[in-house]
Amino acid sequence: MALDTSKKGKSHPKVSQGLNTMDKIIMKYRRCDSPHIWWAVFGVVCLLAAATRFYNVGQPEHVVWDETHFGKFGSWYINRTFFFDVHPPLGKMLIGAFGYLTGYDGTFPFVKPGDSYEGVNYLGMRVCCTAMGACLVPFAFIIVWEMTFSLPAATLSSSLILFDVGLLTLTQYILLDPILLFFIMGSVVGIVKFHGQQKKPFGVSWWFWLCFTGFMLSGSVSTKFVGLFVVLYVGLHTIKNLWDLYGDLSNPLSYVAKHFLARALGLIVLPIVLYCVYFYIHLTVLCKSGNGDGFYSSAFQSQLEGNSLFNASMPLEVAYGAEVSLKNARTGGGYLHSHIHLYPEGAGARQQQITTYSHKDFNNKWLVKKWNEEPGDWEDDEPIELVKNGDLIRLEHVPTGRNLHSHREQAPVTKRHHQVTGYGENGIGDVNDVWRVEIVNGEEEEMAKAVVHKIRFVHYLVGCALMSHNKQLPKWGYEQMEVTCNPNVHDPNNLWNIEDNVFPKLPNSSFAIYAPHFIEKFLESHTVMFQGNSGLKPKEGEITSQPWQWPINFKGQHFSGGNPRIYLLGNPVVFWGNLLALVLYFSLYTWDSFQNKRGFYITPGVRARRDKTLEACGWLVMAWALHYLPFYAMGRILYFHHYFPALLFSSMLTGVIMDYLLESLPNMVPHYLSSSVYPWVTGLFYSILIYSFYLFAPLAYGMHNLDPSFENSTVHQIRWLDTWEF
Amino acid sequence: MDTGVRNRKNKSSPKADKNGKNKIQEITASVINNQDSLKESIEKLKHLTEPINRDSVCGWESRASSRDGKGDGESAPDTPPPETAPDDDGGTPAVTTESETITKPSPTQKSSSRNKSKKIASAAAPPPLELSFNLDGMSVTLFILSFVTRIWKLETPRGIVFDELHYGKYAGLYMQNTFFFDSQPPLGKQLIALAAYLAGFDGAFKFDRIGTPYDPIVPVSAMRVVPAFFGSLLMPTVYNVLVELGLSHYAGALAAFLMIFDNALLAQSRFILMEGILMFFGIFGLLCILKFRRFYHQPYSIPWFTCLTVGAASLGACVCVRYFGIFTFLLGFGILARDFWMMVGDRLISERQLLGHFLTRAVIFITIPVSLYIGSFYLHLSLLYKAGPNDNIMTSAFQASLEGGLAAIVANQPVKVLHGSQITLRHTHGRTCWLHSHDTVYPVKYPDGRGSSHQQQVTCYSYKDVNNWWIVKKPEIEELVVTEPQEPIKNGDIIQIVHGLTSRALNSHDVAAAMSPHNQEVAAYIDYNVSMPAQSLWRVEILNGEVSDGYWHAVESQIRLIHLNSSQALKFSGRQLPDWGFRQHEVVTDKVLDQEDTIWNVEEHRYTRTEDKKEREKDLLRSEMIPMERKNLTFWNKLFELQYKMLFNNQENVAGHMYASEPLDWLSLKRGVAYWISANSNAQVHFIGNIVTWLSGTLSLVVYASLFLVYLLRRQRACYDLPEDAWNKFCSIGEVLGIGYAVHYFPYFLVDRTLFLHHYMPAYIFKLCMLAAMIEHGHYLVCQYFKSPRVAKVYVGAVGVWMVAILYVFWFFAPVTYGATDLTADQVMKMAWRETWDLIIHKQ
Repeated sequence: MALDTSKKGKSHPKVSQGLNTMDKIIMKYRRCDSPHIWWAVFGVVCLLAAATRFYNVGQPEHVVWDETHFGKFGSWYINRTFFFDVHPPLGKMLIGAFGYLTGYDGTFPFVKPGDSYEGVNYLGMRVCCTAMGACLVPFAFIIVWEMTFSLPAATLSSSLILFDVGLLTLTQYILLDPILLFFIMGSVVGIVKFHGQQKKPFGVSWWFWLCFTGFMLSGSVSTKFVGLFVVLYVGLHTIKNLWDLYGDLSNPLSYVAKHFLARALGLIVLPIVLYCVYFYIHLTVLCKSGNGDGFYSSAFQSQLEGNSLFNASMPLEVAYGAEVSLKNARTGGGYLHSHIHLYPEGAGARQQQITTYSHKDFNNKWLVKKWNEEPGDWEDDEPIELVKNGDLIRLEHVPTGRNLHSHREQAPVTKRHHQVTGYGENGIGDVNDVWRVEIVNGEEEEMAKAVVHKIRFVHYLVGCALMSHNKQLPKWGYEQMEVTCNPNVHDPNNLWNIEDNVFPKLPNSSFAIYAPHFIEKFLESHTVMFQGNSGLKPKEGEITSQPWQWPINFKGQHFSGGNPRIYLLGNPVVFWGNLLALVLYFSLYTWDSFQNKRGFYITPGVRARRDKTLEACGWLVMAWALHYLPFYAMGRILYFHHYFPALLFSSMLTGVIMDYLLESLPNMVPHYLSSSVYPWVTGLFYSILIYSFYLFAPLAYGMHNLDPSFENSTVHQIRWLDTWEF
Repeated sequence: MDTGVRNRKNKSSPKADKNGKNKIQEITASVINNQDSLKESIEKLKHLTEPINRDSVCGWESRASSRDGKGDGESAPDTPPPETAPDDDGGTPAVTTESETITKPSPTQKSSSRNKSKKIASAAAPPPLELSFNLDGMSVTLFILSFVTRIWKLETPRGIVFDELHYGKYAGLYMQNTFFFDSQPPLGKQLIALAAYLAGFDGAFKFDRIGTPYDPIVPVSAMRVVPAFFGSLLMPTVYNVLVELGLSHYAGALAAFLMIFDNALLAQSRFILMEGILMFFGIFGLLCILKFRRFYHQPYSIPWFTCLTVGAASLGACVCVRYFGIFTFLLGFGILARDFWMMVGDRLISERQLLGHFLTRAVIFITIPVSLYIGSFYLHLSLLYKAGPNDNIMTSAFQASLEGGLAAIVANQPVKVLHGSQITLRHTHGRTCWLHSHDTVYPVKYPDGRGSSHQQQVTCYSYKDVNNWWIVKKPEIEELVVTEPQEPIKNGDIIQIVHGLTSRALNSHDVAAAMSPHNQEVAAYIDYNVSMPAQSLWRVEILNGEVSDGYWHAVESQIRLIHLNSSQALKFSGRQLPDWGFRQHEVVTDKVLDQEDTIWNVEEHRYTRTEDKKEREKDLLRSEMIPMERKNLTFWNKLFELQYKMLFNNQENVAGHMYASEPLDWLSLKRGVAYWISANSNAQVHFIGNIVTWLSGTLSLVVYASLFLVYLLRRQRACYDLPEDAWNKFCSIGEVLGIGYAVHYFPYFLVDRTLFLHHYMPAYIFKLCMLAAMIEHGHYLVCQYFKSPRVAKVYVGAVGVWMVAILYVFWFFAPVTYGATDLTADQVMKMAWRETWDLIIHKQ
């Protein structure tokens, strides 16, 4: 770096007459004097991006990896059937919209990966997702340009993204990732563009980029919750920006407040509103009953066409002899469930398990009986007796004939509660099967009503109440939720409502008046989503991807096992280059801080260039860290593709650092080399990058008929690490 | 500290330049060519410092500082002494280069020169060998007071209290030299064991469950006095830390007072528990690092080295007591690094000297803790040389190196595994079990409709059993006996493995396994004459082949068995088979080769001489003649294995313990932990803090955070509420205490195991220090903003009342902290101030 300072004056590139045309072009490129050059380079980058992305986009002609989920979700939107998923709806909705607009009719079942698409119009969805994925390259170009105003840096960054086979693979299919990455990068484009407008605050383009950022943020959060990291990033960027404004004593406080309010409007209020709008569309479009019903409350379900609660299809009152299903009344509660498996040794009495289960199932059916007599048939003419508040009843599990039973034994997980079991045979049990019905806020002798009433079942002898919460049973209970008898009768988890109510002798009535409005539905869907997300724990013995493996490209992910084979793996040159660039950045940063601290003299030219680079890199490193480090703290199951948002930032960082090094390089080599070293090193860099892309492209575009055991196959040659399993 | 002041100013000056350009330009105009105006500005500054002097008259600060006797720079109105001239010279180049910076240097130079004079004064005054900590009357008083509260009725309750169950047991095992496994490092346990040893304990007491009364032979008080002693040393240490941070002696004493009269800290350091020791080492290490700042101008002197080495050792010891101490270590390290960074900015120190400083610090901070850590494990492993009840978590090789136990069994067995060897194959890491088969087949159909191979089951069985024996066979040799010449098995050899009693070969094929359908089933092959041929060839991969020259050795070789037809590895899946498999563990093959569960080793081993069963016993006798070739494991091998198991084997997770709590509950003292209850009365020890202290502490954190934010926001608009030195003090409090609290608290949010209130204790100390610091800061603000001394007196009075309240609560809860008083049910109920405090009442 000492060389750097001493020679800067001499070697600063001068456009002299002696240079040939090639050198002139390079010089123009390095300095970016005119917008023509900018647009030319940008155009080339865009064209290349489109070419690499859309090449072979229809291959393979079968369901690839998670297309089985997201294609299915798309179909459900088109068919308007209700479903449950742990991610927010925007991404899936877009896939549905793409399919709808390109003429897909939503009939393909997407059963499992590898199913052939014969005759299905799947291409529209793929092309649209790919198009969003292709935008990443120009986005990166714009971001780096806005951060550094260096054309070579922008080109380097975008080509690193362009030539990464991993990103290519990930953005070519019907997945949420291209959409998510699009919105994440879009948000960053927005914030840097917005930052570029600060000379003209409150102008039209200032407002435009502010709203653009807000829109993109709402998109990333409503595609996947990891989109929150980019919100954090934009937030930090904004705070820094406001902090500087606030610190400038020439700005009056009212002016700062105006800035603050404008940003709050564009970056907080607007995204929240849009997020709610997406949910509104989601809940309005999906109006038919589907497989996700069971996760939601009875009242919620009464709005879904085709659900048993919809449109007066069952009686309101509960009669003795009715077959009912009981749903825990807390948000996201499951159905009271039993199956022919016993509690294992060491978990209380070895009787039949009682759990709650979120899916609708035959095993959720219970028969309501009087405590001391068996009910009559549905066909006979005996008078109907209705269940009233305070009645003593037994509940018989219809498929197995066991009664709901509790006794003074420890519950399997919550040791302070009593165990609940299925006991008896063909409905004949003992006195511990008797439960008292208590309707919350009910009058004496009031009739118990399905859906409407929240009901507590109090064990007659022990005095505890039937309860369920979201604690999972271990493997022996199939990870369903625990059911206990809670000595604290007034626990809010003790409430149940009767959902299905089958009793032909009573007239049907409508539940539509009890349906919740949008806000309630919105909140309920969130509770259910978070519960689902936290349930995605890796199962014992399952091998999950570890965050430390990602940046070193340790292991890929199988996308398609059939013919052609697709394997998601990053371009090792890009990945390992990124690691190197990170190290370089940190060394440069340390070196620079050291020089500052020691008060070394640095020429203003070098100073300015270094400050610009370090500032841009600082933001990029932070974005990388925000999108990568939190995964270490996550308990849920992780995959390699979670790294790709971070990869984008890391690649941009590499571009900026490379540009800085390339610009410093002429000053470090002997004088007679200094004019030729730049083009040569740049050329070498691009050649390596493109060659590595060529080498690894088969992983993304599909490997045909390649037998891995064949020694000289291409696949064998590019298997640089033993852990790559293609 | 002093350098911190100066550099902070340096840093802030350009910002001020940028912000208040207009103002500054005015001054610049007057200053720029005129050296006289520099003096003027010095005069101005003197006026600025005067109010501080006046204010401090009303507070304890002035008394404190006069007591301190150091005569700090602010109260000395003299002009800088002439020694500082070189410093000014050093600053001039910066003045000449850029005209803008000339505006600020005047105060900067002024204060730095003042600091310098102060430093030089303080450096000249005391003798270089003095460590003031030892001679401090306040420290001694605090220690004695604290020690008295801790050892009062130390012997009661004379029963096992909470985790004494573990630590007492470990001490006993040390006495008996029996190996035990614990996932925390050993230093704390060794200290307790040492005390027990000195008191003549022989370890002959069974620590079986909480509440069991101690035998008279157990030296309870000797063992309990160790944590009590360290827990009492904590108070003077904390006092000194606060003084070192620039707070008054009163604030230091207040923090110590809060700690002495906190029921939780008291309970935690009265019994045989690790926290007292852990916290002392941690805080003492921090104190040394803070003291180290004092010797900035006497590098490489004896006190300089003492502070650095003792600090490193103490922080290292903290990690050796419990792994969580790593956070205290990192905090100390961070402070050291920060101070060093300030030193980098000192241009009087050359680069070469800087490098020297860097290397000295690095060497001391790496070698001392590491050698301490390894030393404690060396002691641990050399003391515990006998096999014990819970050593089966270790590998066979490790177990065999212990006296008795497995060593006795494998003592005379042959080493090299040959064709015809009879072996038991142990699953090396994780759950202890042996490859097993028995005369029962897999069910034809599973409940979910899948079919099985209907072959003989192969499982992993956790108990020794005759069915765990297998015979190694080379495929080309027919006879199942050891042949002459011997046919040893090498790395990469293809073998078959035949079950000893049923004589069926270990086999795998493309059938989904019972419990893990994505893996292949493993069975012992039965020839049903259907289209399923035997696929019973396995390749032996020896993972640590270098120790045995590529040969397969019993006990020490760790192997992987690769199924030849499918290239998958034999694996323990972790799943349990249902009733039809007698609830034994499932064995499968998996295509992912490189994982822990695919590693196996031979444990017991003998040669088959004949296929005739009667002759076998004779052969066994003959096999004993074969000499031992096995070496004992070296210390390093043992250490690495033990480390590995400690860090990656968290089995002690008691899910849903009745008194477990969440980190968020700790802030408000939502739950305590029942430590002990008397068998025949309601006398009990309940671990619960002093609620007044506790909540005030939490409040102080909020106050600090919000004050910091307010000051920062106002400073950004160039409103300086605090004078520079007070602001620096405020920041350094945050740096040490605030960050200290954060690094000891927030990591628990990421911990995935059962947590108890006592995990909060280290963070709690920082919180209490912060509380004391905030009370002093409050006093400072009161003095600053209300000029009348009466208000200040009211403030001090309020603090006094609050302290009395703390004493009262301490006294009120003392019965459940000491556990020496029989309580009636009513009295116990009265103590349950919050509904969530589950004190225990015996049912009549």
